[in-house]
Amino acid sequence: MMNNEEPEKQETSEEAINPVISMIMSRMRVPLIILIVIYAISMMGLILIPGIDDQGNPWHMSIFHAFYYVSFTATTIGFGEIPYALNDAQRLWVICTIYMTVISWLYAIGNILGLVQDPVFKKARNENKFKNQASKIHEPFYLVCGLGETGYEVVKALTNEHYRVVVIEEDQESLLENNIYDLQEFVPCLIADASAPKNLELAGISRSNCNGVIGATASDETNLKIAISSKLLHPEGKVVCRSDLLSYEENMRSFNTDYVVNPYNTFADIFSMLLHTPSLHLIFDWLTGAPDSQITDEPLQLDYGRWILCSYGRFGKALYQKFLEHDVEVTVLESNEEVHEGFVRSNIDQSQDIVIGTGIDEKSLKKAGIDTAVGIIAGGDDDSNNLSTIMTARQLNPDIFVVARQNLRGNSELFNKVKADLVMQPREITARMIRVLFLNPMLCDFLKIANKQDDVWSNVVVSRLSAVIGESKPHIWTIVIGPKETPAVFKAIAFGRTITLDSLTMDPLSSTSKLECVALLFARNGDYQIMPDDETELKDGDRILFSGMREAMNSMNWTLNVMASLNYVMNYENEPESYLLKALMRKRFKGHERRGANR
Amino acid sequence: MNSEKVLFSFFMILALTLNFGFFIGEMDDPAHHNVYELFAVIIVNLIATILKFGDRSRLGPMLLATSLVALVQLISAALVWTFVVHIQEIELTANATVLIVSLSGGAVLANIISVILLMIETTMLRR
Repeated sequence: MMNNEEPEKQETSEEAINPVISMIMSRMRVPLIILIVIYAISMMGLILIPGIDDQGNPWHMSIFHAFYYVSFTATTIGFGEIPYALNDAQRLWVICTIYMTVISWLYAIGNILGLVQDPVFKKARNENKFKNQASKIHEPFYLVCGLGETGYEVVKALTNEHYRVVVIEEDQESLLENNIYDLQEFVPCLIADASAPKNLELAGISRSNCNGVIGATASDETNLKIAISSKLLHPEGKVVCRSDLLSYEENMRSFNTDYVVNPYNTFADIFSMLLHTPSLHLIFDWLTGAPDSQITDEPLQLDYGRWILCSYGRFGKALYQKFLEHDVEVTVLESNEEVHEGFVRSNIDQSQDIVIGTGIDEKSLKKAGIDTAVGIIAGGDDDSNNLSTIMTARQLNPDIFVVARQNLRGNSELFNKVKADLVMQPREITARMIRVLFLNPMLCDFLKIANKQDDVWSNVVVSRLSAVIGESKPHIWTIVIGPKETPAVFKAIAFGRTITLDSLTMDPLSSTSKLECVALLFARNGDYQIMPDDETELKDGDRILFSGMREAMNSMNWTLNVMASLNYVMNYENEPESYLLKALMRKRFKGHERRGANR
Repeated sequence: MNSEKVLFSFFMILALTLNFGFFIGEMDDPAHHNVYELFAVIIVNLIATILKFGDRSRLGPMLLATSLVALVQLISAALVWTFVVHIQEIELTANATVLIVSLSGGAVLANIISVILLMIETTMLRR
């Protein structure tokens, strides 16, 4: 019985010892023992060899002096012959001492350096360091798995809003490529496999302040594992995963992964927006774009007519469905015979839509009718082919609208040069969606509702937005009316004052001007009001989504949090805040139900 | 037979025996306590301590702790000796001798515990 239990217990006790310290200790055993033995031998020699003191009397070095002497010779400090000049017998021994001790010191130091270089030790030390750093985060944080292009964009967006982030990345190369030390917040990073639950645990996935997990690795398999582990280890946390393949997406959704971002379907939705109402696409682009991206206020202009879709893969399939939905004529170019047959089999009614050809040469493009087409989509998974398609198409039909799929970030220069009207980057789109989902979930609702509106509505919104934000990228923020989030407003409502949306958008520095922001969406108990009215009355628990300049958000925070600012924008007389003034002023306001009344 | 185990036990028991040899004798008589013996005790104890570094057995931490206690006691004894002989520059007094010997007595106790732990661990190891 005892024997069976023993190994288990042993394991738990080993777990408790810091692996870094125990590694140093066991590696330093031999060098330290050698050092002690050499010191002891050297000291014994110095003690035993007789010397002569300054008066010419025979003299033996004491243990204390011997230790002193060996200590300074061994460390190559060398204070000289202390306390009396040595005789030649002693000097002979000191020569031996010097070489023995210096060599044993070098051996010990070399051993330590070797240990530091040891990959196993490095890994243990990194893990240890990461564990310390991650456990020091006491505010809410997000766990990002995979620091590729998508992961980096997400981490940057989160840290810009001063959220804490913890990263797990397997590849050391991408850590070098994406510098995490330039970010607004310190980001602890673990170099490990994110699909192993042990590593997720190390990053603090089961801690209560882990707000969400983002699976942004390049592999669907890993993202799936991350989603499963995080749902099991921390069910309350939000999980957002990237997925390219439909089968994985369905699998992830089957156990309540909060959001699955499929870049191809997402782009198809965006493209459908563009086909349907170009100004809506512009709104989408403004509100979801990266914080430092350039924006234009001209919606893309599309002509009605026939499109050419090159390559019918995951991306092509998603787009083709959208063309069918909008009843837009399209010709599909696909070089693979099997795909061609598959297409014909599943879309018998539209079998005339597909043409066999690569799309990179004149012949196949002409066969697809490039002269009469209004737009072309270069949607292959090879960047050189896509670029070649665009260049050839432009030669044959200079006015054609070009949509390009860019697979590798490194090719941005080329895609800029070729001047495609719309460039689709799978990673950028994923990052965009994750940013929206985590920073402003209300923006998702806004976009969903906006999608149902007509062209007139979106044109009005575009002009309202562009009047406020001008040429710069708008900042998006959400406010929640509540005692902690907006103390001043909450207090005023509790007093019975009527506070409208209009008051919040006033500048707390000058009551005549308005802040540069627009309220996009107003939510109360699950009811949404898109582009809410300025006269909307606020209540506890309301959520409002704003878009505007970052400075406007900072100014609005004053109104929301400081009673004096709120009084000012509402033209209220300031009330005394300190006890002394309150006591002095009480007389003056006697009988007034000042706080309860409206002006 | 495990040569590492032999070395380990050898130094632990040698630390105890040498320590005991230094301790035994009249408490206040400097002639009964040799300075070179104390030197040897300290060296052997140092080695025994380092041998316990990174010991993965269940009693490893306890063994290391007893050795560290013994070392602290012995080094304080050596410091007292150095202080009297080299800094005060007087012959070893009866008072100082009592202090040194009693400190080393504490170290003997720590070393005995250490050896007992070693025996416990050996008897528990059933193959």
